[in-house]
Amino acid sequence: MTILQDRATAEMEEAVQNGFDLSWLQQLKQQIPGAADELSNDPTLAENTPDLLDESPNQTQRTRGALPRHGIPQYSAYTFRDQKEVWGYNLTKLYQEAVSRQWSSATDIPWETMRPLPDDIEAAQCQLATFFAQVEFVAADVPGRFISQMSPDYHEVRMFLLTQVMDESRHMEVFRKRALSNGGGLMRMIDSVSDVTGGSTDNAREFTEMSSRLHIVGEGNVLTLFRLGELMAYNEAEKAIYRRAAQDEARHVAFGVLHARYMNECTPERREEIHAYLDEAEDRQATGNGGENPAARSANLTADSLAILLGGGADKADEGKKILAAIRQRQVKEYFQRLKSCGFDDRIENGRVNPALLEAYKAAA
Amino acid sequence: MTTQNDGQDPTDAGPLDESDPTGRYRSSAAETVQQNVAENDTAPDEPDPVGEPTPEPPQSPTEQFPWMKDTREWGVRAPLTPHGLTIESIAVGVYGEIPDESREMTRMPRGSFATPGIPRLDNYSVNRKDELWSDNAATLYEEAIQRRWNAMQDIDWDALPDAPEGFELAWCQLCTELGQHATAEIDTIGLWLHRMNYAYIEPKMFLATQEFDSARHFEVMRHRALCNGGGLGLESPGMMNRRMVETRAGWPEVAVSLYIARATLTMLLYRFGAHFASNAVDRRIFGLCLQDKARHMAYGMGMLKLTIAVKGADFGTSLRRILGSIEKDMAGELKDRVLWEAMAIIAGGSIRGMQEGMVAVDRLRAEYVRQYVRRLQYVGIDKQETALHPDLAVVVQ
Repeated sequence: MTILQDRATAEMEEAVQNGFDLSWLQQLKQQIPGAADELSNDPTLAENTPDLLDESPNQTQRTRGALPRHGIPQYSAYTFRDQKEVWGYNLTKLYQEAVSRQWSSATDIPWETMRPLPDDIEAAQCQLATFFAQVEFVAADVPGRFISQMSPDYHEVRMFLLTQVMDESRHMEVFRKRALSNGGGLMRMIDSVSDVTGGSTDNAREFTEMSSRLHIVGEGNVLTLFRLGELMAYNEAEKAIYRRAAQDEARHVAFGVLHARYMNECTPERREEIHAYLDEAEDRQATGNGGENPAARSANLTADSLAILLGGGADKADEGKKILAAIRQRQVKEYFQRLKSCGFDDRIENGRVNPALLEAYKAAA
Repeated sequence: MTTQNDGQDPTDAGPLDESDPTGRYRSSAAETVQQNVAENDTAPDEPDPVGEPTPEPPQSPTEQFPWMKDTREWGVRAPLTPHGLTIESIAVGVYGEIPDESREMTRMPRGSFATPGIPRLDNYSVNRKDELWSDNAATLYEEAIQRRWNAMQDIDWDALPDAPEGFELAWCQLCTELGQHATAEIDTIGLWLHRMNYAYIEPKMFLATQEFDSARHFEVMRHRALCNGGGLGLESPGMMNRRMVETRAGWPEVAVSLYIARATLTMLLYRFGAHFASNAVDRRIFGLCLQDKARHMAYGMGMLKLTIAVKGADFGTSLRRILGSIEKDMAGELKDRVLWEAMAIIAGGSIRGMQEGMVAVDRLRAEYVRQYVRRLQYVGIDKQETALHPDLAVVVQ
């Protein structure tokens, strides 16, 4: 596709004589050569764009590649203006996958397969759904805050995070729908809150701190559970909920891993700092504090619910607890695989990793 | 496109689960857990029958797990509608009761059983129903999901015809402006979404869809500018963008800028693009964006109308008083030649046709100001054309 050269010069002169300015058009004409190269090899938003800057001077919300104007107030005050603070690998592919795999909780879940369940099973399923309805939108509010603080020159990151805002919104509603659709209702709100004074996903002010906690650890833990949704589901509707939520969650986890891998390779001077974030996040994984691991031993409401669902009833909760122990081991195994994938697995070998997690890993081996 | 890069080793993931059309899920995960359990699940020791104390009667589930009683309304069953299980259909019993004000500063799901003594997580600044609620938010949320589209798959980009240089660059300038409109929306909503109380999830979820729509609008406009031989144009003059980002008083004040002042123009620009499109590709792009934008506007108007109706005439007056600076910016942008000259080329079909095209552009600008006034009046702000900023009054005349 090429644009046709026209008799632009003569026409422009005539238009100017008629009172039009057209200096903007002159500017655009001067930048045409090579302008279309950006997309020539990739029908999607290309990542290897020639105008991607290490540091973004953009404080006026302009689209990367647009021509700046002089004299515009620098009103955006973006906090994150350095590529090495926010970038990751495969951003465009993750965004495109997210857009392609959107689903509807109203029509894509076979709600008609729901049947009355024993009260203990229904209560456990509803308690677990209450937990997810409570925590899922964290992953919408928190990234949303970062999006508005991030230079649009890194729009690939912003756009992926916007898909996550959408996904988490859907997760919040699908679990609320589950709680209200089969004779149960919403149950008790979770009480595993901690660190409201700092050091949590909610309070993180640094992008990699937020991502390591939210994507790699918090959502990673939930991903393991969703992947095992077949074990917790009692009908096709519940299976579909867990399966589809897992598909979304895997994408979010992948974003976190690929951001951490980028940071590991491009900002080695920050490795120690990132390890420190992981120290705190691992503590939450082991204890369940902050609601970041519903399967954790001390996460009473959700761990009880999981045990009941996995065992097949309140009277079989002890059997369920054994399965839950195996799930915890699997959570750790998958977390260690993520560490390996992003290049922070040295903490497993050098003794820095949380001892409780290491113990679980060894028990599973 | 699948994502295998989440730290999972696909080679040890086991056989595909036939029930999973995505190929992402594999049944071996569940099997492994079950095997682990089976291996660890040793038989219990045989009890000694001699001298064994009388076993206590088994506990009931609620004795064993007291939290099972912790529900405000057991037995609720939301009806499945012909449109599926929608957000509206789960507004049942206590779960459908919307508080006028929420002082709950945690993320407690509305209607769930409160746990006492939970530290507040945030100090949400939007805590009143009359500052963000709109009765149509739930419906619009479901509509947004049902009408989702994909800029890469639903647009036949290869069908874009070649165009004369000046004409193509004019389209690029229009798309550059609209892409920045989307960025400004994303930033503005992103600054407020996390401040909204969890008692009002319906508007929060709707605004999540608006953010997602805006991402798609940014994507499609940027792609359109870059894919047909042109390129991105000049950045927006940014006056209204700044106004939206810098408004701090509250969400209703932001909404006046975001919806009535800005989205009115954005909608007209999409309509203009769809009307003057010289090919089916552009017509489809602008038509799809217009559909989304109309949804955003429906929420904004519904929200502001409810806000002013509940808060009263004084609040409407306070909103009218902030219009002075907004109108000054609107007038400033209406004088900026870049966008309007580009649109004159589009409407006139060429640079030579600009004079004729400018007639259509002037009509659009006047319509923008008129709609702005009508929308203000609709939501309950007493605004008359006679009280417009002088530069806007000129545009209408």
